[in-house]
Amino acid sequence: MSLLRPGGVAWLLAHEVRLNFRALTGKRAMGGVGAMIGLSLLALLMLTGGVIIGLALRGLNVPVVPLSAAIALACCATAFTLMLSQTLAAASEALYERGDLDLLFSSPIPPRTVLFVRALGVATGVLTVFLIFVTPLLGPAIILGHPHWLGLFGVLAALALLATATGLTLAMTLFRLIGPRRTRTVAQVLAALTGAAFFLVSQIRTLMGERASESLFQSLAREAAEGRVKIPPIGYWPLKAMLGEPLPLVVMLAIGAGAFALAALSLGKRFADAAAATQGAEASAARPVKGRDRAFARGVFAATLAKELRLILRDASLLSQVLLRVLYLVPTAVILSRNAGHGDGGAALAGGAGVVVFLAGQVAGSLAWITLSAEESPDLLAVSPAATRSLRRAKLAAALLPVALLLAVPLAVLLWLAPITALWTALGAGLSAWACGLINVWHQKPGKRADFKRRRGASWFATLAEVVVSALLAGATGLAVAGLSPWATIPLAFAGLAMLALRRSDAQIAKVLRMA
Amino acid sequence: MTEALIVRGLDKTFSKPAVRELDLTVHPGELYALLGPNGAGKTTTLRMVAGLTKPDKGSISIFGVDALADPAAAKAVTAWAPDEAMIYDRLTPLEYLEFVAGLWNVEPRHAKARAVELLETLGLASEARRRCEGFSRGMKQKVALAGALIHDPKLLILDEPLTGLDAASARLVKDMLQARVDAGGTVILTTHILEVAERMADRIGIIAGGRLLAEGTLDTLRSQAGQGGGDTLEDVFLQLTAEGAPA
Repeated sequence: MSLLRPGGVAWLLAHEVRLNFRALTGKRAMGGVGAMIGLSLLALLMLTGGVIIGLALRGLNVPVVPLSAAIALACCATAFTLMLSQTLAAASEALYERGDLDLLFSSPIPPRTVLFVRALGVATGVLTVFLIFVTPLLGPAIILGHPHWLGLFGVLAALALLATATGLTLAMTLFRLIGPRRTRTVAQVLAALTGAAFFLVSQIRTLMGERASESLFQSLAREAAEGRVKIPPIGYWPLKAMLGEPLPLVVMLAIGAGAFALAALSLGKRFADAAAATQGAEASAARPVKGRDRAFARGVFAATLAKELRLILRDASLLSQVLLRVLYLVPTAVILSRNAGHGDGGAALAGGAGVVVFLAGQVAGSLAWITLSAEESPDLLAVSPAATRSLRRAKLAAALLPVALLLAVPLAVLLWLAPITALWTALGAGLSAWACGLINVWHQKPGKRADFKRRRGASWFATLAEVVVSALLAGATGLAVAGLSPWATIPLAFAGLAMLALRRSDAQIAKVLRMA
Repeated sequence: MTEALIVRGLDKTFSKPAVRELDLTVHPGELYALLGPNGAGKTTTLRMVAGLTKPDKGSISIFGVDALADPAAAKAVTAWAPDEAMIYDRLTPLEYLEFVAGLWNVEPRHAKARAVELLETLGLASEARRRCEGFSRGMKQKVALAGALIHDPKLLILDEPLTGLDAASARLVKDMLQARVDAGGTVILTTHILEVAERMADRIGIIAGGRLLAEGTLDTLRSQAGQGGGDTLEDVFLQLTAEGAPA
């Protein structure tokens, strides 16, 4: 019997892998050259870092002590939450994205085979993301004298399988408890919260009164040095598995594979029923939009602004994806105010202000991509007599307004406690958000809202530009808050130069859009 | 008299020629049906008239306005409704019409009254505050048609307007278009349903391979095809497109 027997797991998996690969590479036949150069440079940079780490760690033996075991556990927990965030989102999306699901379920292939393969695809995807980052960094160390550290890859595989099983089970449980209409939204929000879990937990400590300057790892190291960290014997297993000890590694892999098989095989029938139940469920359950009988908006700007804000607010899936950035932005802004209230100065305030400025740019950039590049009816705008500039201004305003609203309260508090810091932060955040919005105007790349997650791949240049410009403005703000205003002009000037280099005329934008 | 649409020497080539040296004149107050086999260049022609695709060569004049030199003025009096409805699933029909009215700068109070009237006429009044995401294809088509009519365009361009509509909705749309023409409006439409063109169109243009093969009333087309008075548009169409097809 052929290994790829039609209808079998391997055959279906090959089909899935082929589709995923084509989705990844499909539209990049020409534009992919730049992306490939960028990715190659990044890989080279990471590999160089990996070689340096490998040389530095040559001859080092990781001691199996409470501190290292605790660090290994914390790393596993961080990786697991990040993986769970992705698998939960992917598992819930798998129910709603029709794609070929109807075709597969109408075929004689058992539903459990379909789910098994789809879940395997999710696990493989999550694992691949981690391997892309871990391999160049740790590969050289493994080659340069630590072959047993290969166990780390086994641990990652086990975590990916476990995260997929958990994500799948959670999605199906949500489906059962709250029904098809709410599951997608709740799962996406949960995924965002899970993704930011470690950050939020550490920030809750800070918000509740711990000193902001002490990180979770610093606190762990202090407590270990004082002999206060007690790890039960089983808590050493992740570390031992990472270090290549056969028994812990096999047990971890068995736990991951067992949980995965149990979830994928036992939920197969329910998954098929749930996927069928999602068909039209969101739409048919949509209630009439409430609100008073208000007048129509006047003119292009007001009508476009109202339309964009409505579309942003009503797209729960998109909102949950932007939420991850907001989950970093708002607590950071609150902590900044709190530090100012505690009389903390210097580095804490400067760093906090910088982070707020950077994140404001990132949130605005994400929203600007949605309003500008992910326009659902570009032809409608093109056949209208509305001036392109008016449309763009309204779309940019719709992207910046939520950022302003999110930062309004923390910055108002900060203004009360530390007016100068508040002014610099507000100025920096405003500039950063505006600059990232403008980059999205100049470097539009039409895409679908559903492709929000993949937008960075479609327009890596704009993404990189957003990161660089908002980082420069964050640096300038941090320096200004630290009282080093003259020095702040340097990153500010670089940001200005970058924006000048990135600027495109209306004709250039139109030409690129015509070719897209 | 200013013609509703004058197209002269229109040319457009993508990977291969789509429209070649096309001349077209549509009189004000008439319903003009542009017919042709798949890939004949109908949609490309209409997209160029609507300002969505830039022609390689030629001129387009809409009610005396040079649409290539002053596209905004031409668009102000034109509406375009393609076969795929240009709507937003997460907006309600009323919100959609508010947005479209804003794009055409229609006075808000007038736009709202007109939106309510259009939705009532199209049988969508009860769905006016429900998001379009659960609508059938036909309902979405009707919302898009309301959008095309919200600014009361002098020239209405419709690409396959009856696609996806049930019999009752199709009748409703046909009646609306007829009423519009009777009131002096100009309508250009493409359709594969030849009976619709036969019954409704004042004049018919038949296009194939990007060229206009024949144009005129049904009788004119019959005589151009060398056929008798009893022949249907389908007979004439098949005869003309078979003759005009590239060898």
